Amino acid sequence: MKQQHRSLFIISMILVMLIPIASLSQEQNKETTSDTLIYKQKYGVRLGGDIGKIARSLIDENYTGFEINGDYRLTKKLYIAGELGTEERSTITDFIDVTAKGSYFKAGIDYNTYTNWLDMQNMIYTGFRVGVSSFNQQLNSFTIYNTNQYWNAPYTENSNEEFNGLSAIWVELIFGLKAELFTNLYAGVNIQLKSMISQDQPDGFENLYVPGFNRTYDSGRFGIGFGYTVSYLIPIYKKDKKVVVEKEKEN
Amino acid sequence: MKRTSIIISILLTVILSVVILGCERDDICAETTATTPRLIIRFYDINNQDETKQVRQLEIDGLDDTGMSMGTVLSRTNTDSIALPLRFADEGGPELTITRFQMEKDADFGDNENPDNASNIDIIEVSYTPEFIYVSRACGYKSIFNMGTNGGITRENDDDNWIINTEILNETIDNETAAQIIIYH
Repeated sequence: MKQQHRSLFIISMILVMLIPIASLSQEQNKETTSDTLIYKQKYGVRLGGDIGKIARSLIDENYTGFEINGDYRLTKKLYIAGELGTEERSTITDFIDVTAKGSYFKAGIDYNTYTNWLDMQNMIYTGFRVGVSSFNQQLNSFTIYNTNQYWNAPYTENSNEEFNGLSAIWVELIFGLKAELFTNLYAGVNIQLKSMISQDQPDGFENLYVPGFNRTYDSGRFGIGFGYTVSYLIPIYKKDKKVVVEKEKEN
Repeated sequence: MKRTSIIISILLTVILSVVILGCERDDICAETTATTPRLIIRFYDINNQDETKQVRQLEIDGLDDTGMSMGTVLSRTNTDSIALPLRFADEGGPELTITRFQMEKDADFGDNENPDNASNIDIIEVSYTPEFIYVSRACGYKSIFNMGTNGGITRENDDDNWIINTEILNETIDNETAAQIIIYH
């Protein structure tokens, strides 16, 4: 940083010294005309997958997940976006072993706050989603929580009870970025803050994990998620964008 | 320069939130959570049935199916209130689950050779149906016990019973805050 300050200082010193020369040259008579630059703006569907979920599927034996995501540029800053995925997750604690399995769909809007150069589609964005999930939960086994161990060791029941036809709906706020690594190939990270609107709770049990929403918390209806995406932009059409540049013309 | 710093700060936020969310308080079953309860019995005076009455030097052992002692549940103490752990294996079923306890009054007299005093052993039998109920992610399930109309408490008769009568206050044993059974002596 010090190095940078120094070079900044030197540059500004040079600029300061150049000002008199520049103002001197302005004495001459000048006229302005406008010039038009045209560059192509790509519009299309950006499709990709969540590599974070794939990596986790390989590492974590209690997790299998896959998600495809896409966005489509509506205006310069506004994108419609969505995710479609499937997840299977086992929640295993000392007292409970549950597997949640199902698929989910999320749709919403992304708003790009990053000002791109020319035709780029890099994004630092914020957006929202509405998510729905259809899933089931299988209670593989549970252990009765008993602080008194006089009679026997903790009793475990392998119930294999299944709770089918569960569903949930939630909203989420999303913050993230997408950067073009190679032509049309983008990598992105995002964080999702979720808030449950409604969910089917199984009879005499509860949803410990909702595919798409991730784990639930006893303390409230909020959840959190992360995404690590790789996506490819399929250009559908290009629109010319005209940029008018005021240019000084010397006579 | 600006862009990399934005990327770095976002990555840091992500890493930090993973660390913070890694350990959650609802992953630990709090001690205050009501889980599998013990049976609460209180001792009352047979002659003055509104008054509690302490049992002198009470010692309690649980008995297995063959009547052998499983060890001490309560060691010698003067008390008018006890909490007994109940046995359970399967949930429900038509058959009642039975737990038997040997209650020895004046247990210290059993040790001496003095023929003028002796301890007095009574055996009680509690029968009930366990029911498993979901508590939370961290605590899993608990068992409660329904004595219902078929279950309850019985005392084995012998020549010299110190337990005179029993009374069920609450057929469902689902907490440790109030007595479910009263023993008069």
